[in-house]
Amino acid sequence: MTEPSVHFLYPSTLFASREPYIVNTILGSCVAVCFYDTVLQFGGINHYMLPFWNGQGLASPKFGNIAITKLLEKMQALGSSQKNIIAKVFGGGNIIEASAAQFMIGDRNIVVAKDMLKELQIQIISSSVGGSLGRKIQFNTATGEVKQKIIEKQQPVNGSSININQPSGIIKPLEK
Amino acid sequence: MNKLTDQELIDELRIRMMENKRALDELKDLNEKLKNVNRKLEESEALKSHFISNITNEIVNPFASILGLSKSILSVNKENWKKVFTMVALIHTEAFSLDFQLKNVFAAAKIEAGEVYPEIGKVDIQNLVRSVTESFRIEAHKKKVTFDLSFDFPTGEETTYCFKTDPEKLKLILSNLINNAVKFSYEEGRITIRIWTEEQVLYVSVLDNGVEITDEFKQIIFDRFKRADSSITSINRGHGLGLSIVKALLDLLGGDITFESDKEKGTIFTINIPESMEEEDSFDTSLNGNEMFFDDNQVF
Repeated sequence: MTEPSVHFLYPSTLFASREPYIVNTILGSCVAVCFYDTVLQFGGINHYMLPFWNGQGLASPKFGNIAITKLLEKMQALGSSQKNIIAKVFGGGNIIEASAAQFMIGDRNIVVAKDMLKELQIQIISSSVGGSLGRKIQFNTATGEVKQKIIEKQQPVNGSSININQPSGIIKPLEK
Repeated sequence: MNKLTDQELIDELRIRMMENKRALDELKDLNEKLKNVNRKLEESEALKSHFISNITNEIVNPFASILGLSKSILSVNKENWKKVFTMVALIHTEAFSLDFQLKNVFAAAKIEAGEVYPEIGKVDIQNLVRSVTESFRIEAHKKKVTFDLSFDFPTGEETTYCFKTDPEKLKLILSNLINNAVKFSYEEGRITIRIWTEEQVLYVSVLDNGVEITDEFKQIIFDRFKRADSSITSINRGHGLGLSIVKALLDLLGGDITFESDKEKGTIFTINIPESMEEEDSFDTSLNGNEMFFDDNQVF
């Protein structure tokens, strides 16, 4: 088998392909929704920073409501039908400490994903959301598999700021 | 079960009533916000359809001019060859504005589709700024507007200064800022462009002594399809996408934009872009340079 190509997913963008790809991205309070078509066996992923587009600036996938709709449209354009799509949701950590509900961007990003997917009747088969740390995730568009790594808080001097032994206590895989 | 005294019961009820009231107030507040957002979205969609009908003019008219003018050139008599110069100049103007408009429209479409990625390279900033400015020289000349360029780099003016960023996106950002400056300048105005770096951040400021930005427009300046002057009789053409594209591209590059507008001093837009930490054309390393490395037990 040929090695899948690698794609780095930037914030405010989305990616979907019928070809096998490994998609890497880094999430703080951002949320990434992975869609996988269980019949055609391909997937797509987005990476949004804020929950809702409020009419300011361009209607880009920087905003959850647009990113999820656009990703679904893209999957459908590639031949997917909505009933075959399952979802996985990652990110939404509250890495910036805040108390007021208005500033809990991570939480609000997660709520958008859950609400919209419920409305679209797309099942979230697993997720790793919330907490106070960032995540690196790697999505395989051919298998739908997602690998995750929790990122320790940035340490200012040492370049290797990653503790691979971080307990995975905040991960709550959902029941099918 | 412990029994409550009447007083406790009343207190408890009062607390709950208060909570209820607070929740209701919050709900009212949220509802109000929702209404506002809804109104804005509707407005934006309306503007979008307005934009599509407008763009017909933006694209069809220049094309018609180009076609008409080139046809006239073909039928010019030999003794009238001097006429050709003016016609070619007009063709250039039309084609230039068409090219610029289309680039913006496609950039906006790409951003809205979530398909823009930084393509980082080493950029000779001085050269890039000069070439963008040069491309507006003819437009500026028509209004007798002059450019005043100044660079302040740590390496001095002599050696080329290279900065790691996305050259195409930077070009489009600068083109939009300069285009606006030319568009809103008065005749015989002066546009001052300053470029400098500070601790691996590139700054560009574009100052024109043109029309002042009204306070009302300051609020919506980065919204799409919004134009300072959107009346039909407006002499300035445009689609109202420019600054919303600039903002989105700067977001992508990790930069920002600020502006000040004053009747006397003119309008100044300043952008800043941090130097990219990325290796050129490498996507397999993470943003902070660490290799992607995954625990085997965290698979979803």
